[in-house]
Amino acid sequence: MARYGVAVAFGAPSGADGQPSLAGTGEQAAVSLAPVPASDDLALHLDGSRPSPAAVVTKGLTLGFGKRTVLEDVDVSIPRGRITALIGPTGSGKSTFLRTLNRMNDRVAGFTRRGDVELDGESIFGSHVDLVTLRRRTGMLFQRPNPFPMSIADNVLAGVRAHRIAKKAAWPAIVEARLREVRLWDAVSERLGDSPFRLSGGQQQLLCLARALAVGPDVLLLDEPTSALDPLSVEAIEALLRELVPALTLIVVTHNLAQARRISDQTMFFFEGRLVEFAPTDRLFEEPAQPETARYVTGRIG
Amino acid sequence: MSSEARLQPAETGGQSGRRAEKGTGGRLVRLVTGSAAWLPLLALLFVVVSLVVEALPAIRVNGIHFLTGVAWSFGNAYGAVVKTHGVPHPQGASYGALPLIVGTLASSAIALLIAVPVSVLSALVLVERLPRSISSLVGLFLETLAGIPSVVFGLWGALTLGPVLAHHVYPALASVASAVPGLGYFGGYTGNGEGLATSGVVLAVMILPIVAATARDLFRQVPDLPKEGARALGMTEWEVATRVTLTWVRSGLIGASVLGLARALGETMAVAMVSGVELGAIPHNVYAAMSTVAATIVSQLDSAFTDSTGFAVKTLAEAGLLLAALTLLTNVVARVLVRRVASTALPVGRGV
Repeated sequence: MARYGVAVAFGAPSGADGQPSLAGTGEQAAVSLAPVPASDDLALHLDGSRPSPAAVVTKGLTLGFGKRTVLEDVDVSIPRGRITALIGPTGSGKSTFLRTLNRMNDRVAGFTRRGDVELDGESIFGSHVDLVTLRRRTGMLFQRPNPFPMSIADNVLAGVRAHRIAKKAAWPAIVEARLREVRLWDAVSERLGDSPFRLSGGQQQLLCLARALAVGPDVLLLDEPTSALDPLSVEAIEALLRELVPALTLIVVTHNLAQARRISDQTMFFFEGRLVEFAPTDRLFEEPAQPETARYVTGRIG
Repeated sequence: MSSEARLQPAETGGQSGRRAEKGTGGRLVRLVTGSAAWLPLLALLFVVVSLVVEALPAIRVNGIHFLTGVAWSFGNAYGAVVKTHGVPHPQGASYGALPLIVGTLASSAIALLIAVPVSVLSALVLVERLPRSISSLVGLFLETLAGIPSVVFGLWGALTLGPVLAHHVYPALASVASAVPGLGYFGGYTGNGEGLATSGVVLAVMILPIVAATARDLFRQVPDLPKEGARALGMTEWEVATRVTLTWVRSGLIGASVLGLARALGETMAVAMVSGVELGAIPHNVYAAMSTVAATIVSQLDSAFTDSTGFAVKTLAEAGLLLAALTLLTNVVARVLVRRVASTALPVGRGV
């Protein structure tokens, strides 16, 4: 079974699968991030024996910019600890949907929203909701790698510092643990002080993943995370993403149908501002219930 | 092979171009453009050479004392003319520019300390916070501020700002500073508003538009993607600005500060009007009267011409060389600084 470095971040060492592998990677066990107390649901799920409850629930979610409606009336429950792929042609509203889940659209001029999004049963738009906390719980990986203009080590620590998650003494261990987790450690351990912009695109994206994981998110939002990368990097990142579940909930926008089939447990198909179909990935691709889905996944529209 | 193929048409084009230039029209164009290209270099050479030639006798007489001495005296204009190293000068002439060097560097440093944080912050607010329409309006103000002649700043400093600072700000500052150990230079007699501190403040106002406009253009170039990444990581807008936007343009900001510094070092008229023109002493505190190299040249030129031996004018030429050297030196230092910041990555995480 894969290493559960991420489980450490949840402070949920009770997971039966988590224990032995933590012992295997001593550095990770030494880093006690434990920012968010693990919910019982999660602990049960790490056990692998219970069906996952929903991590993200949308209720009548309607999104738009100005007078234009981009996405209409979406009601879904996105299960915890799985990879959910969001597919659909350009302009179908899937990226807008994704960026609403961590409220990145709030800043966009003219953005309008009706309906609600619940994260772990709580509205993310409530008046008491702190954006900083919300975004700590929902990490994001972008279409192109976006390292910060600071050293490799500082990139990994950027969120850790901003949220004051760990003491200075623990930083080196965090850097190593996170870089090992994304398989970047061996490539960069000798040059942690160097600029990240000298890394390859794939390595930069892995660094961004390490940076996002370092703050211990529950949900990871990925906006076409491999579309700008070479095939080998794509393979490496896809393999990593598979290892992040079930400790994390992954929601991935992708234009690559083959990728959606390879990595996701279930798939949402968006078309012309509607959520057309949401089903287990195999079923959506092999026996789509809607005619639009069938036409899209067989390449006849899109 | 492919590169050869690509070069081929360009080369033939070049040959036909050269053939066309054989006409008189082509020769004329080459002459005009060629001399235009060399003119700036020639002008620089001419200025430097004539300054050196003019200053050379003064350099020989004043020696190293020019850099280390504090007295500034034309000597006895009615006394005997004496010769040192074969150079005639009035008896008792003694020139030490150390106070001027200190005054130049100190007033520029004060100006930078005030202007850089203010202009960087205002540029950040302009780009990140204000709507485009207000932002361009403020930009217009900045450009207007940059275009005001320095003599106007000097008048304002001498008539308005200096007295206001001396009556309302410096006494409070001095009483606070005298209570803090190590800040003795900021305590003591606060004067009438003509001096180092006022010069620094006036210079700060003068370089602010340059630094702010440059910083604004830099901030506009910072891509959105890393800023979005920082927000998605849960950083506050302040953290996004300081940890991502500012570090992104760090080397450019040093360059902008150097632009401001260059102007502050060479600024003449305004400083001559608010510095108090004290030539013979290093300012004993931050409020004391002083002078800079540039301000001294302009304020002393008239009386220097009354020196019948011409030695005073030669000394001012030496002061001009000194100013050029100071400016060059700070530029070189700044360039090294920019290169270091830009090329090496930053210290690993202050603690890692």
